[in-house]
Amino acid sequence: MTTAPPPVREPAWSLSRSAISLWVTEGVIGSLVLGIGAALFAIFVPDDLGGPFPLLRWLVPIAAAVYAVVTIGVRPWFRFRVHRWEVTADAVYTLTGWLTRTWTLVPISRIQTVDVTRGVLQQLFGLSTVAVLTASSQGTVRVWHLESDVAQRVADDLAHRAEQVRDQAT
Amino acid sequence: MSEPVHQSHVSEPVARRTSPLVVLVHTVTFRQARQFVPAVIPLVAAIGLGGGMTTVVALVVGVTLLSLATAALSWWRSTYTDGPSSVVVTRGLLSRSVRTVPNDRIRGVEVETPILHRLFGLVRVRIDAAAGTVSGKEEELVVDGVTRAEGDRLRTAVLTHRQAPVRQDGAAEPTPAEEEFGRFDNRWLFYAPLVGSYLALPLAAVGALFRLAQELPESLRPHLDNAQLAGVQALAIVVGGALLVLLAGSVVGAAVVNWGFRLVRRGGSLIAVRGLITRRHTELEIDRIRGATIAEGAGMRLVHAARVNALVTGLGDAARRGQLLPLGPRSEAWTLARRLVEDPGPLVAHPPAARRRRILRAVFAGLVATAAGLVATVFAGWWWVLVVGLVLLVLGIPLGLGRYAALGHATGPRSFSVRSGWLVREQALLQRRAVVGWQVRQSFFQRRTGLATVLACIGAGHGGYAAIDMAADDVAGFTLAASEPWAATFSRPAP
Repeated sequence: MTTAPPPVREPAWSLSRSAISLWVTEGVIGSLVLGIGAALFAIFVPDDLGGPFPLLRWLVPIAAAVYAVVTIGVRPWFRFRVHRWEVTADAVYTLTGWLTRTWTLVPISRIQTVDVTRGVLQQLFGLSTVAVLTASSQGTVRVWHLESDVAQRVADDLAHRAEQVRDQAT
Repeated sequence: MSEPVHQSHVSEPVARRTSPLVVLVHTVTFRQARQFVPAVIPLVAAIGLGGGMTTVVALVVGVTLLSLATAALSWWRSTYTDGPSSVVVTRGLLSRSVRTVPNDRIRGVEVETPILHRLFGLVRVRIDAAAGTVSGKEEELVVDGVTRAEGDRLRTAVLTHRQAPVRQDGAAEPTPAEEEFGRFDNRWLFYAPLVGSYLALPLAAVGALFRLAQELPESLRPHLDNAQLAGVQALAIVVGGALLVLLAGSVVGAAVVNWGFRLVRRGGSLIAVRGLITRRHTELEIDRIRGATIAEGAGMRLVHAARVNALVTGLGDAARRGQLLPLGPRSEAWTLARRLVEDPGPLVAHPPAARRRRILRAVFAGLVATAAGLVATVFAGWWWVLVVGLVLLVLGIPLGLGRYAALGHATGPRSFSVRSGWLVREQALLQRRAVVGWQVRQSFFQRRTGLATVLACIGAGHGGYAAIDMAADDVAGFTLAASEPWAATFSRPAP
């Protein structure tokens, strides 16, 4: 489905495979919430209501089912194939997204702070996110779902190198 | 501003008080007493206002005395110190607060003169200590109500400490020569009715008037209902009057805000002074300027008018403080912008696929409405939905073309530029060193048409400036040409 070559090259390293399990879990939780909502809609909306409601009684559960299939069965694998990251000699480089792709490049000399965060679900799978912040509100790089020890090492390394090559950082 | 830097604060910083005159200003404006209003209202309600004139007089006197007392107390309890390494502001009626801002965190000093302050010869000094992406009023130190000479001394002292923390001599530097960068020509005020933000000023005033009119007692309101006027005539008068108010109001509003605007360069800073009622004095460090934006609204483009803002790192409230030319002819705007950032040359247009994409996006709402209109016409006979849809569809085409015409990017030896927007067309001229990161975005449809959107992340202005829908093949070349060598990561083969 990709016709043209990507505008810039891909970063070299892929994420931990546990990220797939995490995304599947997230998909299951999201689908459950949506499914409960759809079920409530189907049960409590009376079928003798006029307008578009008879049609909606069918469409809403079908939409919920499609959403579940996509978020559990398709998107995690798709994302895993797209998501990549790399730390080069002078920059942090990531590629995220699945339909819309975003490449982000931040030079180590402009890093202001490096954060490591672990969400509740991430802790179940032993994953962490490294967030690299710059002076720009839009210039934040997040490397999602690295194994926690890798994430900590990367963050320490980046913070250390940023300290050494730091110019004005703005 | 020619006030010499005294010996005193170089050796030992002294805690200073603001001028006692500020007590009078704050008494009149009820600055401190305002917080007691919620407590006073139920009290008055409980006692009742039965006594007529005497009670009212007693109340006025009481409130004024209360205001005077709180203003005096808060004046007595507040001090400020500009030491060699930091500025400390202490205040608080009951709970004390001490705020210390290290000198190297101070990004700018602004001296403003509201009209009451001017009567007493006082000024208000705002010391801006915004930190990177954090914004908001919390990042500001305010020293309210010092004499003009003291305000200038404070500004000079704080800025001098910050630039040269190890100065020993304490002698006054010779005042650097001033160079005038721009001066507001009052004829430019006539551009104001074509600028959205100035048009909003009279609208807000009219809204406030209407609210006031509704508060008036019935007997005082004019009885318009009885006036017998022919329908068309009345409408014409009302519409004409409203237009006149709008036009005059926007010009007056622009005059109040921008009166006597002057931009000068003194040493390493740019100083902007403006305002009719409240004089503002804003100082920007040239070293922190990373670029400039030239904004032209749809109306302003008709008369070749433009606005210039400086992109300054770590500047709080940047949209107001960064203004270098609030309103003026395009040629003037470009002359000013070129003095700050090297002009990267003419813009490169984006590929034809970008034009198709802009048009498609602009007519999309019209397409949906037309389709819905077809359905509605067939099933419910609502033909007007179809008409609205078709009108939107036709209007979408010039809109899309206009949006495409705005797109462009350019790179020069030390700077680059991107432009986009139709309602407000904004061109950003940026230095190469300004870029703190790149973000390349490609949606599913952009991938199929070989386009990509490139966002330059900047630690100033609104954080990022985008080249929308440029050819995907040009992305690596553009990013390398527009920032420092680290951007080669985009094209260098993976290790």
